[in-house]
Amino acid sequence: MKKVRSQKSEVRSFKNIFLTAFIIFLGMIMTGTKASAELTIKANHDDIKIDFFYNGSTVSVAGDADSGTDLIIKIASPEGHEILKQKGKVAGLLWMNTGTLNFEHTPNLYSIYSTKKIEDILSAEEADKYVIGYPALSRQMEIAPVSTEDERSKWFNEFVKYKESSNLYTTSSGKILTTAKDGKQAYYILTAWPYQAPPGDYLVTVYAVKDKKVIEKAESKVMVEQVGAVKMLAGMAKNNGALYGGISIMAALAAGFGVGMIFRKGGGAH
Amino acid sequence: MYFYLPVALTSINILIPIGLGLAVGLLSGLFGVGGGFLMTPLLIMFGIPSTVAAATDSNQIVAASTSGTYAHWKVGNVDFKMGLYLLIGGFAGGLFGVQLIKILKATGNADFVIKMTYVLMLGIVGTYMFIESLSSMRKKKTEEIKPEKESGMARFLKSLPLQTHFEKSGVTHSALLPIIFGGFVGILAAIMGVGGGFLMVPVMVYILRMPMHVVVGTSLFQILFNCIEVTFLQAYTNHNVDFILAVLLLLGSTVGAQIGAVFGRKLKGEQLKIILAAIVLVVTVKMIFELTLSPSILLSQAGGH
Repeated sequence: MKKVRSQKSEVRSFKNIFLTAFIIFLGMIMTGTKASAELTIKANHDDIKIDFFYNGSTVSVAGDADSGTDLIIKIASPEGHEILKQKGKVAGLLWMNTGTLNFEHTPNLYSIYSTKKIEDILSAEEADKYVIGYPALSRQMEIAPVSTEDERSKWFNEFVKYKESSNLYTTSSGKILTTAKDGKQAYYILTAWPYQAPPGDYLVTVYAVKDKKVIEKAESKVMVEQVGAVKMLAGMAKNNGALYGGISIMAALAAGFGVGMIFRKGGGAH
Repeated sequence: MYFYLPVALTSINILIPIGLGLAVGLLSGLFGVGGGFLMTPLLIMFGIPSTVAAATDSNQIVAASTSGTYAHWKVGNVDFKMGLYLLIGGFAGGLFGVQLIKILKATGNADFVIKMTYVLMLGIVGTYMFIESLSSMRKKKTEEIKPEKESGMARFLKSLPLQTHFEKSGVTHSALLPIIFGGFVGILAAIMGVGGGFLMVPVMVYILRMPMHVVVGTSLFQILFNCIEVTFLQAYTNHNVDFILAVLLLLGSTVGAQIGAVFGRKLKGEQLKIILAAIVLVVTVKMIFELTLSPSILLSQAGGH
């Protein structure tokens, strides 16, 4: 009896699997190739080493995505906080530092690349959820002290301007190259990695977007680290200030005397 | 070719700091100023954080002023005795000035006071030097120099105690005079966050009545010691000295200082004064523009002053 029941249940489960597979197959035919776990990402230059001759780098991000989706690539550092001096007019005439502003929940580096304009392919709620684009970043950032919403938005815009001036913030659309490949699309973008980005771990995320919603995302990492003499000097400046200061002074004195001697020998006629 | 600066955390084309060093070092050797009032804003313009710019500049001034002092000492233009008195005053004044800044920062007026002191001092010193050297250049052309009548001020200075003769400068003053004025420059320099060479030079020329060429050498001598102290404190407490940037700057500035010292010997005292006055005035005008024109970005890095 037991055997019969188990045979029956086996047949039922086989039927179920068959049915499920059939439904998925149908679904795929009806909705194109909308299947999960199709999105891949690879950052080619994921371990950037800062040596003496470092002047920034390039990072290419590539992968495959379902055709029919739009793509958004976000490269960002972990959120932190920043304290900046604010300039204002004193006595209605002179521009001076009038205080400091505290910016909370701000990534130090924030780059967004998309196949089309963010507002055309993503709803505001979804943008907020994944912090995609300046408006979303603005809504999650805390700025203090500000008294009105206008003031807040003014200082957010100034913050973006400040960051863009050091190439740490950027947004652009239409620069991701996509090509059809086996019924899917392969995407590729080459981005300039700014030398201003300090050592640390950076997260690269690609979002596949359809019907104004994020339907899938994939992540990769870019690590930036100092190596060799750069690392040694930075470490010594931080951890052994007295020795570092002493060496700096001795080197300057030696250079000053050295050049003085050379000139005396070379320029004896003066 | 680009070099990465490990403390400034930025990358720079090496021709920029070497060129800047050469230009500012030249001024240093010519006029006996450290050139911080020119170098620091220029470095900030090229993307160096302001705190690192000021600290690293003092490190490179150590090299430039060593080179300059050495060049001037060889031709007997450094009054070590005067330099020592000025240093004592400057050191005490610096300590006092740092306390003053702390009080100002607590009241929230620091930036206003610093900027205003800067503009006023630059403006007054530049204008005075310019007019004075211009008129003395004209006088020399038209008439023989008459021995100046002793003014009330000079009589008062002579009545001060501790009168001593400064052989190199050929002047006799109370030892209190360089100490007090050195202290005064020290206070202002600490408030403005600069070495104070452009203030010390006029003090030596107009108040201590030293010959211009000795002024340059002596000023460099005391700047050297000031900057050693500042570099050490910046490295030890603020970790703001960028060694690589300092080396690149001093490659230019040590050579510039030597060239400046050679050129300086070919120019007359009045000519040196008027050129320095013109540079100081140009910097003043630039600062006034900065204060009155709307800045393109209203945020800047915090830290320093």
